[in-house]
Amino acid sequence: MDAKQVGSLQFMIDFSLPLYEQILNQIRSSVAKGEIGLGEKLPSVREMAHSLKVNPNTVMRAYQELERDGLTEKRRGQGTFITHDKDKVAEFRDDLAKEYILNFINSMENLGFSLTDIQSYLKIIVREGHPHDRNNH
Amino acid sequence: MIETIIKCEHATKKFGDRFALNDLNLEIPKGKVIGILGENGVGKSTLFRVLVGLTRLDQGKITVLGEQPNIKLNANIAYLPDRASWYQDQTVRKAFEFGVKLLPHFNIERAKQFASLMNLDLDMKVSSMSKGQESRLMLTMCMSRNVPLIILDEPFSGIDGTSREHIIESMIDYMSDREVTILMTTHEIYEAEGLLDYAIFLDKGHVLIADEAENLRREHGSLHDLSRKLYR
Repeated sequence: MDAKQVGSLQFMIDFSLPLYEQILNQIRSSVAKGEIGLGEKLPSVREMAHSLKVNPNTVMRAYQELERDGLTEKRRGQGTFITHDKDKVAEFRDDLAKEYILNFINSMENLGFSLTDIQSYLKIIVREGHPHDRNNH
Repeated sequence: MIETIIKCEHATKKFGDRFALNDLNLEIPKGKVIGILGENGVGKSTLFRVLVGLTRLDQGKITVLGEQPNIKLNANIAYLPDRASWYQDQTVRKAFEFGVKLLPHFNIERAKQFASLMNLDLDMKVSSMSKGQESRLMLTMCMSRNVPLIILDEPFSGIDGTSREHIIESMIDYMSDREVTILMTTHEIYEAEGLLDYAIFLDKGHVLIADEAENLRREHGSLHDLSRKLYR
């Protein structure tokens, strides 16, 4: 698995997992992190497929999904752009946060912890400070 | 609804006592890069030869682009056989002139671009070429035609790593520009991993697995790993 740069975007492609989901998720998180800004142009399907050495059908599928999410807009003859809509991206960040937290809760429940357990763990962690902060002091 | 470009129904072909194709049933989707995968002798090359009308089935039926395989149909198919050399006494330039005259939908500008990507000099004589150079020329002849179906039997054999990358990139560019179905066999699954969007694994003349590459990755990991598991 190696890192590949396409325009302002960075990708890590693992051929043992579905490719379109990786492309989709990596563009999504670049948008969420602000690595690619509002209104910025995405590389063309051709350029993306060529650089990632991935079938253009696969890239197209990821692009279609981004458009359905409302994260990108296609402009006739110009290509695909990240939305200008700040609220849309904020909403998307919210969704992403919820998704991650639900995944986390799921894993905890699989280990046998209840929601109340999780809350108390979170309280302890908040009281003791974020692990990253502790490492810095 | 997925459109199919090739349909095999109970396709059977025997050489002596050995089944090359054994009641093969298959629908190949249009507009994709399809890997026909499996070990030597599972029927890949026989299937390709049947598709271009070089070999006849003993039983069953195959349709390609809606017709039974025939010579006329081959105007719409670019085929790279597993072993071939057609242009022994010629130079690359002459091979291209031959292409313009005799190969339907041959684009000489594209051929020249492809050749330079493949490090083939236009004045190089075919008889003085290495096996790898000859393979690259044959592939250039195929990839320079604007046809709806390209059939490549081991396009990477005898070709070094850098040229392989160029070939894969060229295929991706070719696909970005037009709708084309590319059917290929390869032993180098690892290199073609991202290129394939559909995979058909054959064994003893019939289908073991045929599915979207993305589904296979979700269930089994990389196509390379799946192949190793299947043919252990």
